[in-house]
Amino acid sequence: MFWKLRLPLIITFFVGIVPIVSFFLTERVPGVSFARDTVERYMIIIAGFALLLGVVNVIQGNVRKIERRAPGWPFAISLLAGLIIMGSFGLLSAFRVGPFQGILTAPDGGDTPFFWMTRNLFNPLQAAMFSLLAFYIASAAFRAFRVRNLEATILLLAAFLVMLGRTPLGEYVFSWLPGGERWLPAATDWIMAVPNAAAQRGIIIGAALGAASLSLRVILGIERSYLGMREK
Amino acid sequence: MGELIGTWIGALLTLCIFSFLYRDNPFFRFAESLFAGVSLGYYVGIVAVNTLAPNLFQPLFGNFGENWDLLIPLLLGINLYTRFIPSIAWLARLSLAAYIAYYVGINMVQKLQGEVVPQIGSTILHPIGGSLTPVDNLIMIVGVLSVLIYFYFSIEHKAAVGVVSRVGIWFLMLGFGAAFGYTVMARVSLLIGRMNYLFIDTVRVTSQHLS
Amino acid sequence: MKLERLARIDRRIVYLLIGIGTVLPILFPIGFPVSTTPPVERLFEKIESLGPDDVVLVSFDYGPTTAPENSPMAEAVLRHCLSRRIKVIAIALFPIGGVTMAGEVMSAVTAEYPELRDGEDYVLLGYKDGAQAAMKQIGIDIASVFPTSMDGRTAGEIPLMRSVRNYDDIALVCSFATNIIGEWWANLINAQFGTPIAVGTTAVSAPKYYAFLDSGQMLGLLGGLKGASEYEQLLLDAYPDLRARYARTGVYTAMKGMDAQTVDHAIIMLFILIGNGIHFLTRRQRQSEESG
Repeated sequence: MFWKLRLPLIITFFVGIVPIVSFFLTERVPGVSFARDTVERYMIIIAGFALLLGVVNVIQGNVRKIERRAPGWPFAISLLAGLIIMGSFGLLSAFRVGPFQGILTAPDGGDTPFFWMTRNLFNPLQAAMFSLLAFYIASAAFRAFRVRNLEATILLLAAFLVMLGRTPLGEYVFSWLPGGERWLPAATDWIMAVPNAAAQRGIIIGAALGAASLSLRVILGIERSYLGMREK
Repeated sequence: MGELIGTWIGALLTLCIFSFLYRDNPFFRFAESLFAGVSLGYYVGIVAVNTLAPNLFQPLFGNFGENWDLLIPLLLGINLYTRFIPSIAWLARLSLAAYIAYYVGINMVQKLQGEVVPQIGSTILHPIGGSLTPVDNLIMIVGVLSVLIYFYFSIEHKAAVGVVSRVGIWFLMLGFGAAFGYTVMARVSLLIGRMNYLFIDTVRVTSQHLS
Repeated sequence: MKLERLARIDRRIVYLLIGIGTVLPILFPIGFPVSTTPPVERLFEKIESLGPDDVVLVSFDYGPTTAPENSPMAEAVLRHCLSRRIKVIAIALFPIGGVTMAGEVMSAVTAEYPELRDGEDYVLLGYKDGAQAAMKQIGIDIASVFPTSMDGRTAGEIPLMRSVRNYDDIALVCSFATNIIGEWWANLINAQFGTPIAVGTTAVSAPKYYAFLDSGQMLGLLGGLKGASEYEQLLLDAYPDLRARYARTGVYTAMKGMDAQTVDHAIIMLFILIGNGIHFLTRRQRQSEESG
């Protein structure tokens, strides 16, 4: 019970209060700045390990898929091949094994294999996958963006003004009137700086208070779901 | 030659992804799985090169006497992986507790001191200063208060509270409309970048190598 | 009935129109004018006020997914800094592509300034995990976070790093960000260390950041491709020597990208108008059928 439940909660409390206590007491209490610096240096390293956890999950899942010849298993091979080849080049570069010196530029001035794969596989795949969203947002705008009530009308008007005002189109709409070319861009600037900022500020304050109270619940051991346990 | 081959691989993979717009097909599925694999492989390499090697292994093994304490984050980091061994999976909780706790603690200060205090301060101090005009200051105050009241669910949104929360919804709609306009801008920009790669970069690199 | 069919038009026709609207202005540039806005002007003026004794920390907090927006702004700000001989320390905190974007942008821009020396006038320190932990620790000792540069030199071997210990020695932080890291510079680093922060962000995050701009936690904001094009315009007005660089064919710039952006915005607005027109007409048709 102590090792599996109490100890993680004790660690949570003592590590969790380090950034809070150090914020108020750094210069005044000896040892606080040492604790803060130590924890921060360690966290950079632990974060590296933690974020690689997902890689193990993906490898497990895809190896199982290939073993069972599940539907689409050949694609699991291309996934693992990409991961292993790219990851190996990276690991060899990290420990500067043989010709793998550095990760961006090779000693001869050319791209390292890792950077070549980054430029020609990683970058285009990442960029292309997310650029599909442009097509989907256009389709959604056509099918779903409807003026049904007052609130939807306000939303649509703001969206229209911003889409017009943040392109040169906004300058052309009233350009036939004296000084008119600045009207729409100025209206857009105003929307962004006043009502939009007010709405965003309300959301930020509300969300921040919620996040801070959740943080307190975690530090005090009331919220335990991140450890796979039920709330107290 | 490496540049030419690489650019064409990039162009073909882009077309494989775009083929999904017509309908799902094996070319897209191949590119999609490669996308996931290469992205994870990239991450393995970057973490090893930029964090684990310079901040952990080089100081630890280069000068153990001065940096022996780095064994602690090393063990905590490795301990995270015990979650994949069912009999000792609970051990990972110890590392997870330390990792989550630090970010939760920092998040608390960050949210209160970095968001709540300056954002409220900037709102209530407006009538006596700030970059906005007096009318805009008033609109800002009304907007922030009404949005906060809209999100306050502990009282029933009736009578005066109902009216104010309705005003809050209007401000939110203005904000969401602006956000939609900006999101359109963002998504279109990504497509412009890709099309530029297909129609300008690929053609330029090809013609450079052919001439 | 015909109207309803129009409303259910094959989505691929919509995709095709967007595709054409993007490709044509890329192949046949229009050259729309660019007007500037105060959040961008403020960052430009801040960098104008700095000189060779100042250090700017540039954080590449984006990956290839938003490079068409973020890279032009990063390039323009870097050119501005290097043209004014401001020292630049580049880092990356975004895991999925941040450091390789930094490598590409830094090598492209610094190559235009052969008189400047790597390690003396600029340096790329690389990527670091831990985000907030790394950002906070830079405020204590940057060398403890980045013991080596991207190419393996130790902090002691880099002349520029000898004069920079923490945020006290940094005049401005410019983050080019695709996600939440941009706002962490404001709500963590500006809040706790008082360091001036400017963020060049993907347009999706820009509306939220206006609240940080108004509270003074960000001194400047470049929102999406439009923000990048504005910075390019300000740079070219102040530094005409750079015009040839931006006018070259085959070089992607935000100002060129704004042509396609404008056409696509027009198409999408037209879609919304047509969609709503159909919605209204079919609703009226239905109402008259019911009453008839």
